[in-house]
Amino acid sequence: MTRAAVSTADPSAKQGLRARVVLRRGTLDLSVDIDARAGEVVGLLGPNAAGKTTFLRALAGLTPIMAGHVVLDGAVLEDPAVGVRTAPEERSVGLMFQDYRLFPHLTVLDNVAFGLRARGVKRSPARQSAMEWLAKVGMADAAGVRPRALSGGQAQRVALARALVLRPRLLLLDEPLAAIDGSARADLRRDLHRHLSWFDGTCLLVTHDPLEAVTLADRLVVLEDGHVTQSGSAEEIGAHPRTRYVADLVGVNLFRGRSAGTTIMLPGGETIVAADERYHHGEVFAAIHPRVVSLFREAPEGSPRNVWPGAVEVLDAIGDRVRVQVHGPMPLLVEVTPAAVASLALDEGGEVWAAVKAAEVVVYPA
Amino acid sequence: MTAAGLAPVDLAAPDHAARRPAAGRAAGRRAALPASGRRARHRAPAGLVPLAALAVAFLALPLVAVAVRTPWGALAEELAAPGVLAALRLSLVCSLGALALSFFLGLPLAWVLARVPFRGRRIVRALVILPMVLPPVVGGVALLLAYGRQGIVGHLLEQALGITLPFTTAGVIVAEAFVGMPFFVVTVEAGLRAMDGRYEEAAASLGAGRWTTFRRVTLPLLAPSLGAGAALCWARALGEFGATITFAGNLPGSTQTMPLAVYLALQTDTTTAVALSAVMLAISLTVLVVLRDRWFRLP
Repeated sequence: MTRAAVSTADPSAKQGLRARVVLRRGTLDLSVDIDARAGEVVGLLGPNAAGKTTFLRALAGLTPIMAGHVVLDGAVLEDPAVGVRTAPEERSVGLMFQDYRLFPHLTVLDNVAFGLRARGVKRSPARQSAMEWLAKVGMADAAGVRPRALSGGQAQRVALARALVLRPRLLLLDEPLAAIDGSARADLRRDLHRHLSWFDGTCLLVTHDPLEAVTLADRLVVLEDGHVTQSGSAEEIGAHPRTRYVADLVGVNLFRGRSAGTTIMLPGGETIVAADERYHHGEVFAAIHPRVVSLFREAPEGSPRNVWPGAVEVLDAIGDRVRVQVHGPMPLLVEVTPAAVASLALDEGGEVWAAVKAAEVVVYPA
Repeated sequence: MTAAGLAPVDLAAPDHAARRPAAGRAAGRRAALPASGRRARHRAPAGLVPLAALAVAFLALPLVAVAVRTPWGALAEELAAPGVLAALRLSLVCSLGALALSFFLGLPLAWVLARVPFRGRRIVRALVILPMVLPPVVGGVALLLAYGRQGIVGHLLEQALGITLPFTTAGVIVAEAFVGMPFFVVTVEAGLRAMDGRYEEAAASLGAGRWTTFRRVTLPLLAPSLGAGAALCWARALGEFGATITFAGNLPGSTQTMPLAVYLALQTDTTTAVALSAVMLAISLTVLVVLRDRWFRLP
């Protein structure tokens, strides 16, 4: 598509966001491509300082981009190459900040009405719309109070109403539940999910909580060190993690090495034997789920093709399972039953053998 | 030299306004010590406490002396004297005029200093602060050289616009603004820096343009700083002596403000001088009380 076609608002132009953001800020080198349809909720997942917030700020126009483009519903909002840059206040983009930033000198009602007033809506209709949205998020009773008097969860609801009342075409949520503690979190997540299901624009949601990402987003994009390292559905990402961060997030053991036949050579000299022969040469990932690892006190004989010695480092109870961190040439996270811990007499520092059947190793190209 | 000859130096010294907040701070800290229980944890080295007490006495005694010697019974009568009311009115008009000028020019300056990075910003800030440390008489001389009838700008003002500043009421306002505006700018700039633009960004993301953001977010959030800066600026303008007498003279009715009237009265009638001083002291105390939350909430 040419730029001319984009700017003439071609009715067949894809509704949604087309963004390529390149910018440098301090030590962060951000270069991110994201396309998202209208009505889609994209979860942006990544470790701290990966550039998630900076990316949202760039889409909102608060941080200028050095190269690339931001196109929303077919209209170019920013493109340094052709000198286009729409001011933040002229973009149909709603940004909910991680710290919400409700105006402390305005009541809850006037906070929500602020955007409408700024866009020239008269006081009384603006307040009426604001009141409707406060009712939708369940905060109508607090209309007259100042933000200072609100709890974190209440402030979050008000901030959401304040962003949604303007009916933005792009909604950016920066860790919407990060400031909320445990008990209220589940309720807020459920409500947020309900509001997002009504929302017909494009939504980008930053989080570092995998549960939040999986429950709220239709699709995930993993951002690490300023770059997209993986994207896809939660299932795809969970099944085939491509970085240490994602592997830790979904709790699987991830190794990268060179495949030769069914043997994968790791950089440290260790080998993993897999049954899958589809990827018999080249760089591959090998993922080993903690539940498929068996532990033994003595070196096992017979069927398993992968047997590694190690020492138990940490024991952790997770639900009805026990998580065992095995330290050694092949560091492994293992999940066993409490009964197994008892029968093996596992204790921290004790020596064990970890065994994995070749058929249980998941291999995919790097 | 007689006692009356020495006294004016103490009473009418133009730096009395600067001394007042220091006295207030010392008193506030002393009151806070036992209440917060710090005394037990930070044992003062021997000799420090008596010296601190001496400092408080040194700062507070002159003020007590004014209160003690004020002719309370005859106060109304003293203040009703013809020249006194004129001086009081002129002081109010000029100090408020100086405040208005400081607000009008100082707010944009504070905003630029706080928000717009540019080369030489530190130099500009130093220039702005300079009148705070400059002896006011020198300020008056400088004003004459700039805006006087033969001044580098003054003669143009007079030729082109027919405006004469020195030895006029407008000149008093200029002199007071010259000395008072830095207090306003410095206070408001600090307030703007403390706001760090978070709420302005939120306003922009909600569709508010720069002017709407400034009016509906920046200014309301800045109100405490604006109030404090205005009070400091106004109090300094009200007490202005050196720059005023140098640049605007001492003409009763048009340039003779309260501090000048106090000084003049002291030459002839000590009672009147003390009565006028008591009024000024009351005004200063009022400002202090209004601003107590800001100055006494020490880190």
